[in-house]
Amino acid sequence: MVEKEDAIISEEEAAQYDRQIRLWGLDAQKRLRGSRVLLVGLGGLGAEVAKNLILAGVKGLTLLDHELVTEESCRAQFLIPVDALGQNRAQASLERAQFLNPMVEVEADTDKAEDKPDDFFLKFNAVCLTHCSRDFMVRVDQLCAPKNIKVFCGDVFGYHGYMFADLGQEHQYVEEKPKVVKQSEDANDGPEAKKPKVDPNETTMVKKTASFCSLKEALEVDWMGGKAKTNFKNIPVGYFLLQVLLKFRTDKGRDPQPDSYTEDSGLLLQMREDVLEAMGVSIDLLPPNFVSYCFSEMSPVCAVVGGVLGQEIVKLARACRMGTRRRRRPKQPGPS
Amino acid sequence: MVQLVGPLRKELADSVSSCRVLVVGAGGIGCELLKNLVLTGFRNIEVIDLDTIDVSNLNRQFLFQKKHVGKSKAQVAKESVVQFCPKANITAYHDSIMNPDYSVEFFRNFALVMNALDNRAARNHVNRMCLAADIPLIESGTAGYLGQVTIIKKGLTECYECQPKPTQKTFPGCTIRNTPSEPIHCIVWAKYLFNQLFGEEDADQEVSPDTADPEAAWDPSEAAARATASEQDGDIKRVSTKDWARSTGYDPVKLFNKVHYTNSLFKDDIMYLLTMDKLWRKRKAPLPLEWSELQKQEEMLGGGLKDQHVLGVYGYSQLFSESVKTLSSQLAERGAGAELVWDKDDPPAMDFVTAAANLRMHVFSMNMKSRFDIKSMAGNIIPAIATTNAVIAGLIVLEALKVLSGDLDQCCTIFLNKQPNPKKKLLVPCALDPPNLNCYVCASKPEVTVRLNVSSTMIQTLQDKILKERFGMVAPDVQIEDGKGTILISSEEGETEGNNSKFLSDFGIRNGSRLQADDFLQDYTLLVNVLHSDELGKDMEFEVVGDAPDKAPTPSTQEEGKNITNGNKDSAQPSTSSTVPTDQDDVLIVDSDEEPSSSSDCGALKRKLLDAETGEAPAKRQRLSQQQHADNEDDDDLIALD
Repeated sequence: MVEKEDAIISEEEAAQYDRQIRLWGLDAQKRLRGSRVLLVGLGGLGAEVAKNLILAGVKGLTLLDHELVTEESCRAQFLIPVDALGQNRAQASLERAQFLNPMVEVEADTDKAEDKPDDFFLKFNAVCLTHCSRDFMVRVDQLCAPKNIKVFCGDVFGYHGYMFADLGQEHQYVEEKPKVVKQSEDANDGPEAKKPKVDPNETTMVKKTASFCSLKEALEVDWMGGKAKTNFKNIPVGYFLLQVLLKFRTDKGRDPQPDSYTEDSGLLLQMREDVLEAMGVSIDLLPPNFVSYCFSEMSPVCAVVGGVLGQEIVKLARACRMGTRRRRRPKQPGPS
Repeated sequence: MVQLVGPLRKELADSVSSCRVLVVGAGGIGCELLKNLVLTGFRNIEVIDLDTIDVSNLNRQFLFQKKHVGKSKAQVAKESVVQFCPKANITAYHDSIMNPDYSVEFFRNFALVMNALDNRAARNHVNRMCLAADIPLIESGTAGYLGQVTIIKKGLTECYECQPKPTQKTFPGCTIRNTPSEPIHCIVWAKYLFNQLFGEEDADQEVSPDTADPEAAWDPSEAAARATASEQDGDIKRVSTKDWARSTGYDPVKLFNKVHYTNSLFKDDIMYLLTMDKLWRKRKAPLPLEWSELQKQEEMLGGGLKDQHVLGVYGYSQLFSESVKTLSSQLAERGAGAELVWDKDDPPAMDFVTAAANLRMHVFSMNMKSRFDIKSMAGNIIPAIATTNAVIAGLIVLEALKVLSGDLDQCCTIFLNKQPNPKKKLLVPCALDPPNLNCYVCASKPEVTVRLNVSSTMIQTLQDKILKERFGMVAPDVQIEDGKGTILISSEEGETEGNNSKFLSDFGIRNGSRLQADDFLQDYTLLVNVLHSDELGKDMEFEVVGDAPDKAPTPSTQEEGKNITNGNKDSAQPSTSSTVPTDQDDVLIVDSDEEPSSSSDCGALKRKLLDAETGEAPAKRQRLSQQQHADNEDDDDLIALD
């Protein structure tokens, strides 16, 4: 497991982290300083998450990616130098990532994530999986969540993106609630000293526990059951899109590519039918025009998903305050 | 057949790569925005920022590294971006967007302008330029975990100034000078003291006991007598102390003479206040500090940031002396007539305010505060993190794509909340509002009515406090609508300087007069109706009729995502390389707990708040804003009304 560090914030860190210490407090910053995170996949989304975690000041970030840099990856990501074609993606991202914040221990691992043994993942406080297959994500989730390692997943498909968080069955957190002040019933004692104003932000911290569902459960919801049917309106299209794209990824070993648009879009449409039918839901839940909006990774979408994902990880690394209770938060910026 | 270039359809990809866009600001939002733009395929980008890089920027302005501290943000941002996208054609301007070089014609070159600013003055200005040039503007802001993006398009949507924005909280002079009850009052006092001793003298920033305090008088005639007395003596203490300080030539040794000087502020002045006994009938009276009686105490330091420790009274008295010594020698070094400008990042200046404010808090029985906390309040620091800016910058580009595709009808205002709302949305879209037909900026013939006293309002005040600060003009030209077109103010230097200290009434202006104010750079004409009044509220030099009353901004710590104030900026302090960078972003925050059932409901639910920018205050106190200098998020004086 991760060693508990006695974090003393140096003056240098205090100066650099000043604006965030003023937001989440010194203790939170210290906890961040003691956390080690694994990030799998250095595509557009991965780069955003890496940037956000490194800037926040985690103890260590491991960049794990076996893929090589292609022209597409250069275009999609700001950590890889333009002359790094053919290099390993994690390795190529390392230098710029480190420059973001020399105080963080950033390392690159070029192995294939699927080939890593179980105990590799247990070294971290949190793992974040991008560009991973469905089966692998489920495996990691089942391995880590019970051991109190926070599991995060996310991907961007064109204009669409999603993120998933599993904080375990008994995630404890603290919520800030406004204090209820009872009115004093004492009579005035005549002329009294004017008191300094009471801080209007008086709050109390309430301990809570939340239980998160596993990725497997989230992906295998039985839509044909009675209860599930009533919730269709509230389920974003993204959920079904995700199911289709994960299938594509599993079957083809890659994501849809602009270069093979014609072939891939045909496949996607077919998969849409197959997947939705297998789930027992109407094909109308995923309008067919999705095919023109799910290729490659849109940079602003990576920024939005990466920002939210990054912030969730930062929150968890430092003991949750307003912990999110939701299991999944699909994002769908862009044309709907 | 759909053709894709990366994730974008070809037609869109082509317009993205060929159009020219302007990014105003290269700070928190700006860095993220530039990155998103080039990765999305934008190739012709101009970016402008007048500021330089500070170490406190590095937690989020990721295009900058420690080695860049002190350099131009726009310049370094460009260099960093070009590293990962050499094809990008970026022009960087280390300059203020309010410089007249950036004319309406300049703005017309762009398909789109995106603001990444942190102060209201610049936002007002860019708003007007984009209206004048009829170019779409994407406006945004962040504070802590919250953020917002919106579109401004002439004729189609509200402009930035369509809805009045609350002004920064100001405090009455007697609260600052006589009866502080909160730490912030003491902090404002300490900043005034800094200016009185080392900075630009300002009659609105008195620190000595206010003998004309109406609350101090047992009967009206007494108040009148005191007022007369204080006028005759020239406000007793302060003038004499400042003159005294000057007469010693700011001799560090004499200024450092604690017995005379420190006792003066924390003993003699306090004793004077005690004689105004009515003030203390229902308040706890202040306790004068006797220097010689201050005991050195053991201070428990413990862990944590040094700045977060709270010292004892003795500790702060030492800090006070030390900082006075340092500051007076700084002043002495600069020669005759020099003035220091308060800067939260200048250690002795910050030490001075920390010490003086704490000593005063102690005198008035308030718990003293750490330097860390005082810096937040004195410097109007808005906490900021990378992820909020990243999300907002992503949203800006997504809106930009809609604009470029000609899909303005799909644009909306988007709010980023701290927590998902009851409908599980973290990002809440809201329909754009149509323009306010009575907007004093974008209406076809904007008009306002201003209440003031024509016999006691100077032309200088009209120019600086009313037209520039309140109405956002940069270089106004003013004439009277008297049939003769009498010119009151010319934007050309030197032409009407002679008018500055004259009163409006000297020019025949009276109740009902109309003034035409033009800012040619902004292509903006405002008709000002003058309403004369002998009875403005105390501390008020003018009032805009129809304005919402001053609202106190809620503290900048997010309260359930409600009103966030941001702000600052504005005012006085010219940007120097050591000045705090503009890294905080203003935000228009709306309480958006509920997702509207239809987009039109959003309007009803909106409670616009916002940025508590200084400068809007009808306060005399507001320092003349060098609007060329965007303000740094902090530095600036809290504005207090006198």
